Amino acid sequence: MPKNEMPKSGMPSGALAMLILRVLHSGPLHGYAIAQRIHVLSSEVLEVEEGSLYPALQKILLKGWASAEWGISETNRKVRFYRLTLAGKKQLEAELKDYDRVTQAIQSVLRTA
Amino acid sequence: MEKIGEILRRIGYLLTRNRQRRELEAEMAFHREMAERAGRPEAKRTFGNQVRLQEQAREAWGWTWLEWFDRLFQDLAYAARTLRRSPGFTLSAILVLAVGIGVNVTAFSLFNLMVLQYLPVRDPASLVRLQRRSPDASTNTISYSSMIFYRDHAKTLSAVIGTLGTSGLQLENDVQPVSDNFVTANYFSELGTHSALGRLIDPQQDDAPTAAPVVVLSYGLWQRRFGSDPNIAGKIVHINHKPATVIGVTPNALASLGGQHPDLWFPILQIPYFIQGNTALTDEGSSGPAEMWGRLAPGVSAKAAEQELLALTNQLRKIHPKDIWDNEYIRSDPGGHDQLMQPELLTAVTMAGSLVLLILAVACANLGGLLLARGVAREHEISIRVAIGANRNRIFRQLFTESLLLSSLGSFAGLLLGYVVMRITIVHADAPLWMTATPDWRVIAFTVCIGFFAAVLFGFAPALQIARQRHRKTTARQVLLGAQIAASCVLLIVAGLLVRALQHALYTNPGFGYEQVVAIDPGLGTHGYKPAEARNYLERFSDRLRAIPGVTSVALTSMPPLGHVRVSTISNTINGHEVRIFPFQVDPAFFSTMQIPIVRGRNFLPGENHAVIISDTLARKQWPGEDPLGKQDASGSSPGDTVVGVVANARLIDMQDGDTVELYHAAKEADMTDLVVLVKTAGTPESLAPTIRSIAQSLDPKLFPDIRLLKGEFRDATRGSENIAKIVSLLGGVAVLLAGLGILGLVAYTVSQRTKDIAIRIALGSSHSKVLASVLSQFSWPVFFGLITGVGFTAALSHVLRRVLYGVSNLDLASYAAAIGVLLAIIVVAALVPARRALKLDVARALHQE
Repeated sequence: MPKNEMPKSGMPSGALAMLILRVLHSGPLHGYAIAQRIHVLSSEVLEVEEGSLYPALQKILLKGWASAEWGISETNRKVRFYRLTLAGKKQLEAELKDYDRVTQAIQSVLRTA
Repeated sequence: MEKIGEILRRIGYLLTRNRQRRELEAEMAFHREMAERAGRPEAKRTFGNQVRLQEQAREAWGWTWLEWFDRLFQDLAYAARTLRRSPGFTLSAILVLAVGIGVNVTAFSLFNLMVLQYLPVRDPASLVRLQRRSPDASTNTISYSSMIFYRDHAKTLSAVIGTLGTSGLQLENDVQPVSDNFVTANYFSELGTHSALGRLIDPQQDDAPTAAPVVVLSYGLWQRRFGSDPNIAGKIVHINHKPATVIGVTPNALASLGGQHPDLWFPILQIPYFIQGNTALTDEGSSGPAEMWGRLAPGVSAKAAEQELLALTNQLRKIHPKDIWDNEYIRSDPGGHDQLMQPELLTAVTMAGSLVLLILAVACANLGGLLLARGVAREHEISIRVAIGANRNRIFRQLFTESLLLSSLGSFAGLLLGYVVMRITIVHADAPLWMTATPDWRVIAFTVCIGFFAAVLFGFAPALQIARQRHRKTTARQVLLGAQIAASCVLLIVAGLLVRALQHALYTNPGFGYEQVVAIDPGLGTHGYKPAEARNYLERFSDRLRAIPGVTSVALTSMPPLGHVRVSTISNTINGHEVRIFPFQVDPAFFSTMQIPIVRGRNFLPGENHAVIISDTLARKQWPGEDPLGKQDASGSSPGDTVVGVVANARLIDMQDGDTVELYHAAKEADMTDLVVLVKTAGTPESLAPTIRSIAQSLDPKLFPDIRLLKGEFRDATRGSENIAKIVSLLGGVAVLLAGLGILGLVAYTVSQRTKDIAIRIALGSSHSKVLASVLSQFSWPVFFGLITGVGFTAALSHVLRRVLYGVSNLDLASYAAAIGVLLAIIVVAALVPARRALKLDVARALHQE
């Protein structure tokens, strides 16, 4: 069984988890909506495939960063909604802080070199 | 803290994983639906990989071993469905496996019962069998006085148990002698045996020379001879005309040491009472007739006991300097089993083991061919599974799971078959009652292992080939065919050799006349006769015997032909070859009585000393191409002995070994106490026994001669070979059937694959014979290699066989030729039938079939 397959958009899986946590920050969403939100917010640059989305979601559940509950979708279907937990918020903050630090560092290298 | 939460969540997932799986499926279905609705049909592409996606998503939880089990169960369920759909294949596969595995299970069960399993006695693990050994000598027996010395001084042994069997005790006035066992008084209490009736021999009451004479009956004798008399205990019976009180009856399922099944049991101290003049108890020195067993003291190892016994042996040497060998020690073997694992047994076990494994190999090769052929039928199914994203590993795993399921079913059937065969064997062989056919954990573990082994053997290669879609290649089939031919070849030749050996043993002349000869062992030595008395007795006895109407001759010999008591051999190296020599002390009448012709020289003259007569083979081995008469150096004779005659070979003692040779000395005065009387009659030998007994009684009432018909001894001697040959013929038959079917199937299938090819060749004007030759030629290499391997292996094996069975020749051309002929015939028939069908086919139809 091939493991660690790269998502088609070329996004590292750690980054995908961060994006998921970020879009969940504004409220609970189901799987398809998460993918859609990332797609739209990235001005249709990032496309999240099922093949990477659901394993990432399972990992997030496992880590306790989000909880899942059943709800009714906009199309009136029963579907699972993911809600950010306290641990998830902390994780997001930590990851964003990390991300900021790294991007600033990269930018300063790019500017001054 | 975070870690603990994660673990708890994992466990939660584990408990609800079936629901979780369904939810994930529903979620992904919803996702796809939404994507399609949004007008993104490319989402559909992921459809085929849905299963893998779910697997990936679930793998995030990290319970991969659990998933592995899940998949195993899925595979098993799928395999079961597949097998159910083709019941014909499944049934024949299970049958083939049941035979292959069942044969192995039976062989192992027998081995387990006799060698591995403990006897049902108290604490069998601490029982040891003690035997005298030295680098160049060994014996199973020891004198009573030495045994007592070891018993009194060994601190590593909590008890020493001795048994002593004599022969030919007479119960009341019965004509047939009963077998006896004189045992130390602790025998039954040490083994923890309880009586079926009355009591058994007891150290408190029976362990003194002055104790009242008692006897214990075996359960069988009590039933046969005393009609299961419930009041037998306390009654008086006469043994050798001596009264003794029956104290009890042994249990029906008695487990006795050394695999003996005597009729009567006595305290060993009463030997002189029953056998008048017997000196077994008082003979000094270390050679004697008793067998010794010990019980290790708590916490003592067998090695430690050996150490102490070695020190005691060295002390014993000071008391009896002549009787202790150089470097003698007492070997201590685990004794709580029916049979000891002796080196001779190891050869037989290895041989039997390799033969039954070969049968399994034939069965597996057979099945492997079937599976490969099935691979073609399943091409369609497998290509669909590949198309929907199953990878080769997955398909291989699925196919191998199927093989495992088959082998489990086959193992179960084999276990049942083995049980049935064991039941029959145990009943038929008159085995002791404690032996049961019910498999124990060892047999079950063995069955599981052999089942797995079989699955790998028959399932691995075909599964690999099919998963890679390479089953149409002929290499695998050629290898299978070669292996099958090799294994079948070995089995066929060995079966042939053994059947020939049986014929040899049963229908060829052993070199002497036995039908009308009776052997009488008066047991002069055991009754304390001196040589002069013995000679006197034998002269009077012989005269009286000659006077019986119908008796044509009477002779004397130190070893009764075909007897198993008092056999002595000399191992000697003659011209670089190890030769086993049987030395006989005989009188001049011996050769005419046994109908052994003198081929050169002359018979012994009356009263002649320092003369030897040798067998033809010994003459040839010792002096090839020379005249042996007058020569002085016959191996095994004493200095000064001259060869006066050569007699024809006669397998007087060991029917199984064709290599042994005989050496005859004229019996001297000192040999008289050990001689056995041979009587040849013109009438029926059966009717002689009562007359002989009454003559013996009138000459000396304290003697009870052991009277045996050589006819019966001959039957006993050949029974072993007969049984082995029967079993092997049966196994050979099974193997030939399996191999025949397998080869037939494989060859027929391979040829049928070429139907189109054949039809085209015919259409292009090729002659029938040319096409047939090309079809058959593709089998030439596997057949050639199979036959070469098989013949080579058998040649090596027959070397071992020769040592075990009499009459197996090294290069029995008939057996080899017959086996090769049968195999070739099977292959040709197997190839011709489908080839002929192909030849009749017209091109259009053959092409249409594709």
